[in-house]
Amino acid sequence: MALRFEELIKRHHDENFAYLWRLMGNDRHRDGSMDVEDLTQDVFLRAYDSFAAVRSNSNHRAWLYKIATHCAYTQFRRMKHQRDQLSWLKHSVTELETASDDSSLRKDMEQRGRALVNELPAKQKACITLRYLQDLDYPEIAQILGCSQESARANVYQPIRHLRLALEGEK
Amino acid sequence: MTTQKSKNDVFVVKHLRSALGSPTETALSSSRERVRKWFAAEAPLIQWGEMNSPLGPLFVAINQRGLCALDFGRQESEFLERFDNRARLERDPKAVQRVLAQLREYFAGDRSNFNLPVDISVLTPFQRSVLDVACRIAPGQVWSYQRIAKELGRPRSSRPVGGALARNPIPIVIPCHRVIASDGSLGGYSGGSGLKAKRWLLRLEGAI
Repeated sequence: MALRFEELIKRHHDENFAYLWRLMGNDRHRDGSMDVEDLTQDVFLRAYDSFAAVRSNSNHRAWLYKIATHCAYTQFRRMKHQRDQLSWLKHSVTELETASDDSSLRKDMEQRGRALVNELPAKQKACITLRYLQDLDYPEIAQILGCSQESARANVYQPIRHLRLALEGEK
Repeated sequence: MTTQKSKNDVFVVKHLRSALGSPTETALSSSRERVRKWFAAEAPLIQWGEMNSPLGPLFVAINQRGLCALDFGRQESEFLERFDNRARLERDPKAVQRVLAQLREYFAGDRSNFNLPVDISVLTPFQRSVLDVACRIAPGQVWSYQRIAKELGRPRSSRPVGGALARNPIPIVIPCHRVIASDGSLGGYSGGSGLKAKRWLLRLEGAI
């Protein structure tokens, strides 16, 4: 039986929300979840409009990720103030560097990682999130981003190298 | 060197995972609820139900306009597959009880015509006009495909008439079984078990 839209929501809402939440860099110290709710709603709205044209044997999961990635890219472009947000994050990292207890140290590490990821180009951010947070394989990532598997691999390898060097530099 | 590098990469990935983290269940359920509410408001609602009939399991479905689907002698999944896959399907015996009650009366021989709003807007104007004419055939009577074609002012369109009747989404209620070939043979029937069901219905109505 062909997949119904209602079932599509049930199966894929959570992972798409999580993907966008990670991609948009929502900081747990700020209430940014509303933006991600808007985006998630937008993803399903777009999916609904074009659902009739999708073949029943398609990979619906990859198709939704593709829509979600497009929505996120559009949002990135809209967010001209993103740099201000980044500088806010960097500032708070510096502040937290003085903290000494374990939980603060962990938060400090997380924020530093978060800030480093935020600085990455959109495609690299999408690639590493899809690969390591959403646990997708390279053929699927290539399908979602409309690129070759080699390009998907490169867009995972480069940011990982960048993050490794940045973290080594901080040691 | 490579081993050390890959060890470092494992550390980087671990670091990345904890830095990007996961949304809370509260954030997830809030978004889930919002999408669910939007879908409930946006998607057309189709309520359906079923009954046992002399022709096998019988399914009916209604939308906002009225009865939009009826089928019998098939599996539930086959019946549900016909609907727009964006529609919201709800199994709701109460919503369709009026339809089922009239069908029970019909099968018991206590009803010859149905008094139900129907929706055949998915069909073309020609198909709708064919079914409108079929609704004028009284129980116990049979018309030929050609007679319907003539009624429509298109005497050479017997074959398209047959095609339109085959697309009838609500057989029995729209009595396409009352249309047979000019030579007296039954012609075709796409409901349930095909001609066997058509013969059964015509016998029930005393037409043959």
